[in-house]
Amino acid sequence: MVQINLPQNSKVEKGKYFKDKTGSKNIRKVNIYRWDPSTGENPRIDTYEVDMNNCPSKVLDLLNKIKNEIDPSIAYRRSCAHGVCGSCAMNMDGKNGLACTKPHAEIKGDINIYPLPHLKVLKDLIGDLSTLYKQYESVEPWLKTTSKTEKENIQSKEDRAKLDGLYECIMCACCSTSCPSYWWNGDKYLGPAVLLQAYRWIIDSRDEDRKERLKKVADELKLYRCHTIMNCTNACPKGLNPAKAIASIKKMLATS
Amino acid sequence: MKENNPLSPHIQIYNWHVSSLVSISHRITGIVNYFLSIFICIWASSLFFGEGAYEIFKIFLNSIFGKFFIIGFIWSYAFQILSEIRHWFWDIGLGFELKTTKVTGLLVIFGSFILTILIYSSRGLLPL
Repeated sequence: MVQINLPQNSKVEKGKYFKDKTGSKNIRKVNIYRWDPSTGENPRIDTYEVDMNNCPSKVLDLLNKIKNEIDPSIAYRRSCAHGVCGSCAMNMDGKNGLACTKPHAEIKGDINIYPLPHLKVLKDLIGDLSTLYKQYESVEPWLKTTSKTEKENIQSKEDRAKLDGLYECIMCACCSTSCPSYWWNGDKYLGPAVLLQAYRWIIDSRDEDRKERLKKVADELKLYRCHTIMNCTNACPKGLNPAKAIASIKKMLATS
Repeated sequence: MKENNPLSPHIQIYNWHVSSLVSISHRITGIVNYFLSIFICIWASSLFFGEGAYEIFKIFLNSIFGKFFIIGFIWSYAFQILSEIRHWFWDIGLGFELKTTKVTGLLVIFGSFILTILIYSSRGLLPL
């Protein structure tokens, strides 16, 4: 259901202010969403003054700098720092993206950092993605075949090209958590990330379960809650187009 | 434990862009048009109930509020029509590139105002 306002326990309060101690003249304010599960308090926004003269270019570098030099208590996910693993997906300057590929110079004014939208927060910038992973599992993201052959399952260049723009998805969840339909119906609507994955298996020439896959996804709530708002494609840090993938599934269903 | 975990902010913090604005306006004008079509039916029925009943609508539509109403009415339809055309292209799988959606979105927004001006200013041309 559409619920515009945040529940009472999620209302964001004003937090601590960390003043710059380096005496640098090149200071930027960074506002970060904080929530500590051990206190029982509401989430808050802490503000950090950061010396930008000694900070590398990406938002993740900025977070690392804050964690290393100002406040070690801050929690966020990160791993590869090269836009491959998808761990550091978060909301920066009102838009979802990967902190490791987003240059902070692109952000004007204060830098606002929130967890991915409309998720249960586990701590600070870490959201709970277990629903999304369950939904991902529900599309059975693996090759399914019934015919048994001893030979290699060969794919033509043309058929392989159909997977371009789909296989690159790193499941960072930037798209799904940017989607208002997913915000309001995230328990039933599969969301752009999972639907893009569903399409990736539907059009794989080696898969023999296409009909069943299409039948399974053809659902008022699972698929057709997509109203082409385009937030997903706008958010994708890998430049993929989930909205187009969803439209392709709809088109396949309408023409098959 | 999960019950007490807060929900991260969503619509409060997410940036608007052309496509999301057009999308929500498409939804709103759709609902408005639903009620406006009921208004058109009542208006048409007033013809049936004679001159006096029709006269009430005429007085209302010639008032300042009535003119505001009719212009808003035309805009709502103009927007819905243009946005629907955009959706038709999407339905056949065209126009999903980010740049294209931005341009078509802006076309819908500006087009709806231009169409409103064209329709409203041509009202005298009809022999009514």
